[in-house]
Amino acid sequence: MENMKPRERVLTALMRGVPDRVPWIENDIEEGLQERIMGKTDFKPGELCKKLGMDGFGYHFPMGGTATAGQAMQAAVGFKESYYYPQKVTFDFVPPWIAEMGAIPETGRTFIKRGLLTSNDSLKLFDEYLPDPDHPERYERVANWIAQFKGDYAVFARIRLGSASMIESMGLVQFAYNVYDHPGLVKEVHRRFSEWSAKVVEHLNQMEFDFYWVNDDLADTRSPWMSREMLKEFFFPYQEIVAHAIKKPWVFHSDGNLLPILDDLLTLGMSGIHPVQPSAMDIKEVAKRYGQRVCILGNIDLDYTLTLGSPEEVDREVKERVTAVGQEGGYIITSANSLTDYCKTENVWAMANAIKKYGKYPLDQNLLK
Amino acid sequence: MTVVTNIHHELREAIIRGKREAMEPLIRKALSKGFRSEEIMNAMMIPAMDEVGDRFAKGEIYLPEMMIAARTMNTGLDILRPLLLSSGVASKAKAVIGTVKGDIHDVGKNIVAMMLQSAGYELFDLGIDVAPEKFVEAVKTHEPQFVLLSALLTLTMLMMGETINALQKAGLRGKVKVGVGGAPVTERFAVRIGADFYGQEARAAVIKCNKLISTVE
Repeated sequence: MENMKPRERVLTALMRGVPDRVPWIENDIEEGLQERIMGKTDFKPGELCKKLGMDGFGYHFPMGGTATAGQAMQAAVGFKESYYYPQKVTFDFVPPWIAEMGAIPETGRTFIKRGLLTSNDSLKLFDEYLPDPDHPERYERVANWIAQFKGDYAVFARIRLGSASMIESMGLVQFAYNVYDHPGLVKEVHRRFSEWSAKVVEHLNQMEFDFYWVNDDLADTRSPWMSREMLKEFFFPYQEIVAHAIKKPWVFHSDGNLLPILDDLLTLGMSGIHPVQPSAMDIKEVAKRYGQRVCILGNIDLDYTLTLGSPEEVDREVKERVTAVGQEGGYIITSANSLTDYCKTENVWAMANAIKKYGKYPLDQNLLK
Repeated sequence: MTVVTNIHHELREAIIRGKREAMEPLIRKALSKGFRSEEIMNAMMIPAMDEVGDRFAKGEIYLPEMMIAARTMNTGLDILRPLLLSSGVASKAKAVIGTVKGDIHDVGKNIVAMMLQSAGYELFDLGIDVAPEKFVEAVKTHEPQFVLLSALLTLTMLMMGETINALQKAGLRGKVKVGVGGAPVTERFAVRIGADFYGQEARAAVIKCNKLISTVE
């Protein structure tokens, strides 16, 4: 029988304990999918959670507007105003990409055409692009939304350590060159983004968030984009600025294969790692090596199962993951990135049903056979 | 023979360590010792870049090391190109590459492009969100031997099949070998949509193109 409130369920698993059921929470649910699930755009975050049986929320919601594609909030043009005075419900506190942006007309999905932080001279763009991290308006609005919508759910803010901001605002190729050509520029850009995030976190620490979801991609499916030595020289000193400012539990998100650098990354002190992409890492190996140190989140495949597979395949995969890594708690089930608007709606429902079926503690070993 | 060993070694070291400023003096030195431009490219530089590619594929080196090596290689190829052309040596082959329609991700595509270019291929990079008809147009214009399609999303990888169909309809399918790659792509998917090959990572794409080169016009 489920006897924990969703927030307690999430926080228990995040602290590597055994809750009453494997919690389910997503880093993002794209607004188009939210709308398909709810059949409308004017719903509260908790209503979406209740309908799906999900245990918490963060990210952004179409309430107050029409559903838009995932990264639209990160478009740089006019970012400051939309950051201070968001028109739609959001719990995101990420800096804009300092980049020339483009958009696909058919979907509205935005993308980075070209990073703009390519020289010492370009550092002046920080003033133009970055909002004032101490501006009170966004914090006040979000505090009101938390008070209105939180209920029994776990609520998280999405932030960055600054690494993804540095890489994307420079461009991955330019970053690779700059490690050799302009190492000082790489460090300075990372430092500035990290110091901005640390200031934001100081405000968020005072708010009613339960944890943070920290999104900084550092790898592709094959390997991290840097060696351990580069991580220590170009990333760690700045990631630590944010990590030290954080006073709540936090989940670190990076796509790809982190195994070559995971020992080092974990010294930053995160409570959980996400999303353990099946095409990049074996969740059993991750759980075996690191399950005693951090909560594991993720691993329901987005490349095939949720997007192209059948509800039966989703059911089977949820069962396999719960069996493989959920036995002793410390596991939060999520998709292996986020629920994108091209996930099949029936597969999201299959995931919801399978979590209820297989995820109750003590786990029913007969059911999991 | 000491001279041969030295210049091989020096060019290899310059590429592996990404010392692009060393390329011009070293290539001049090799030419002054009587090596032909084709020999310098095929026997000295490409093997060095192959070594970099192999080490990258094995996880012994990381993206920045690979990228500066590729940049150095391309600096060398730029220096050699006029000499290669004047002696009638064409590029190894031509390839058109792009991320398919609807997809905005270009990290993997850029790495493959960089590695192919530094392996001696002439590259036409169409960028991201490339519609099937753009690939068709590029094949007509550039007459490549290879068309390489990239996608990061399950949603957009289906567009790889559409692109292959468009090449078929335009009567161009038999003229090119089509390779596909990207996080959600699998060998099985590649076969299903009628691609000629699948590259699990960048180095694999280069190796497969090298193997198929003799089978294309």
